[in-house]
Amino acid sequence: MKLELSIDGVDQPIELLRDGSECRFQLAGAPERRAQVETPEPGVYSILLDGVSYDASVEETPNGLVVVVRGFRFEIQVRDPRRWTRGASAAGVEGPQTVLAPMPGKVVRVLIAPGDTVDTGQGLIVVEAMKMQNEMKATRAGRVLSVAAREGATVAAGELLATIE
Amino acid sequence: MGLINSSKPVPRLTARESGNRPQPPFHPMKVQHFGAVALLQFPCMFRKVLIANRGEIAVRVMRTLYEMGIASVAVYSDADRTSKHVRMADEAEHVGPSLSGESYLRMDRILDAARKHGAEAIHPGYGFLSENADFAAACEQAGIIFIGPSAHSIRMMGSKTAARQTAIAAGAPVVPGTDHGVNLQQAREFGEANGYPLLLKAVAGGGGKGMRRVDRAADLESALRDASSEAERSFRNSEVYIERLIQHPRHIEIQLVGDQHGNMIHLGERECSIQRRHQKVAEECPSPLVEQHPQMRHAMGEAAIRAARAAGYYNAGTVEFLVDQDRRFYFLEMNTRLQVEHPVTEMVTGLDLVRLQIEIAAGGRLPITQQQVSWRGSAIECRIYAEDPYNNFLPYPGKITRLSRPLGPGVRVDGCIYPGWTVPMEYDPLLAKLAVWAGSRADATARMLRALSEYDVGGIRTNISFFRQILEDPAFRAGELHTGFIEEFFERHKPPQPSADLTAVAALAAAIHSQSRRAAAGAAPVDLSSAWRADGRNQRLR
Repeated sequence: MKLELSIDGVDQPIELLRDGSECRFQLAGAPERRAQVETPEPGVYSILLDGVSYDASVEETPNGLVVVVRGFRFEIQVRDPRRWTRGASAAGVEGPQTVLAPMPGKVVRVLIAPGDTVDTGQGLIVVEAMKMQNEMKATRAGRVLSVAAREGATVAAGELLATIE
Repeated sequence: MGLINSSKPVPRLTARESGNRPQPPFHPMKVQHFGAVALLQFPCMFRKVLIANRGEIAVRVMRTLYEMGIASVAVYSDADRTSKHVRMADEAEHVGPSLSGESYLRMDRILDAARKHGAEAIHPGYGFLSENADFAAACEQAGIIFIGPSAHSIRMMGSKTAARQTAIAAGAPVVPGTDHGVNLQQAREFGEANGYPLLLKAVAGGGGKGMRRVDRAADLESALRDASSEAERSFRNSEVYIERLIQHPRHIEIQLVGDQHGNMIHLGERECSIQRRHQKVAEECPSPLVEQHPQMRHAMGEAAIRAARAAGYYNAGTVEFLVDQDRRFYFLEMNTRLQVEHPVTEMVTGLDLVRLQIEIAAGGRLPITQQQVSWRGSAIECRIYAEDPYNNFLPYPGKITRLSRPLGPGVRVDGCIYPGWTVPMEYDPLLAKLAVWAGSRADATARMLRALSEYDVGGIRTNISFFRQILEDPAFRAGELHTGFIEEFFERHKPPQPSADLTAVAALAAAIHSQSRRAAAGAAPVDLSSAWRADGRNQRLR
């Protein structure tokens, strides 16, 4: 099967063939590789690639998947090009980029307005928790569709702050 | 070394008057193991102690209480009902809403909880009420023992300028500076006499609040105004004093412990130069500098004891020094409580500092002399925080979805987290302290790297992988430390980029994960789409 991946903001399609724990895959046009994949714990993948052993932990967040391998953290959005149902976004994110509060806190600054164009990494909204301020940044470039966050409002973790096209 | 000499089991003596509350039947649970109870030396040894704190330090204190056969009482705010310290305690009492000002800082509620549960003593941990002289005094008035120094000693060491004066009187070296708050005229005079750069500091200060570096005379006026107003906002005391700025100092501190019979010893130093935002994040014992110059330990230890004696100090305490590049040391302040980083001293000396604190509070004598203190090997501690080191160390509270702790030789974890627990946004985001011991500093560094590689916390961001980079750093390896280490580290060091193989592994894991999630959702009778449909129906019905 083919999946569209966005890894830390960079689009990298992956083609994957699985037979039990044996996998063949091709990432972003690179030569095909083989790997052996087991799931010893929910959300943890033990992967043998060219004889090297990796443990990859996968976590679902409102903004997509967070994968940690050997201390490195990857933010990955997964899209299945064959499926456009809303249900698919449960495991990844597609369509408009949603900016969600990563933690409970208070909105202290809103730096964008609907219609603005934003670049990857641009600051969007500042949320404060534990007396520290945290700036939400755009994970990719686009146009601001809507801004739900209001300065001074208390937000829950995962609450929608803005959407970007 | 065991601190209690008697191995003879003794009956529990009726402890101090514990109010008219009938004693509950002896706890059927956690503390009923008489082997560990040897109270012969302590006619007043407590049977129950309340911990006026939360998080990892409350858990740390409870561990020793258990080992001593003493029952523990936890206090908790609304945010902490399911926190580890409440679950681990023998008894627990709610003391108010989540805001610490309405719960953990409420002396009246803490004392009420102690009386209600019949606790004979209170361990304050660190932070919260631990350095509050009024609280120590209130405990005494209530007939409850405060496990710490006297209210008088806390007052003498409480404000930075009072502590400076105490240190000067005791002959301990201090950074040249004013011993009182200054106005602009006095500040100018100090600058002319001592030169720049200099440092403005809040008299009531702590945590870098109200602190300003001044490089030129022209900047003095505005810096003094800023420092003063920040001090007013933070401490309701706008007074600011001046010190000469020590460039690239090390932060090295001496652990003291003294009893109420006039005995006091030092347990050596801790190097705490790895700091961010004026807060320590990694500590070690011995200091790599002191290891090269062993006479420093004795000299700093003696100076620390002199300063503490001048304040009539007893129980555990720490004297902090700044050390300049010529290895001259200067008294900075005294922390009149247990330090966060005490485990490294425990690992190297083999002593249990919390146990010593409790025995001293119960009237016991120090079980060892200065000559009997020995230091073996090397210990390092990393403070594991819920924060993002690559985004200004911003806190990252949230739910812990996955947890795998390091185990194996020489590893100690003082923590308070478990999978499924939500790190509250109201408090300091310290999750755990990871400490390791090995025969040498190089071996301890390698062991810490190994332990960090085993540490996996899911659901939130932590500084675990950041520590791996710090410990790999050549300057750290060489022991070339100073309090600006982390800032410099960021200047010369870019976050490492993952290899192509690591990226491929991450991509593969993500693809397989989302694939299996979809397969499971398709097969399960109640999947997400039906939940959405149900939700949609409900919305239409409204």
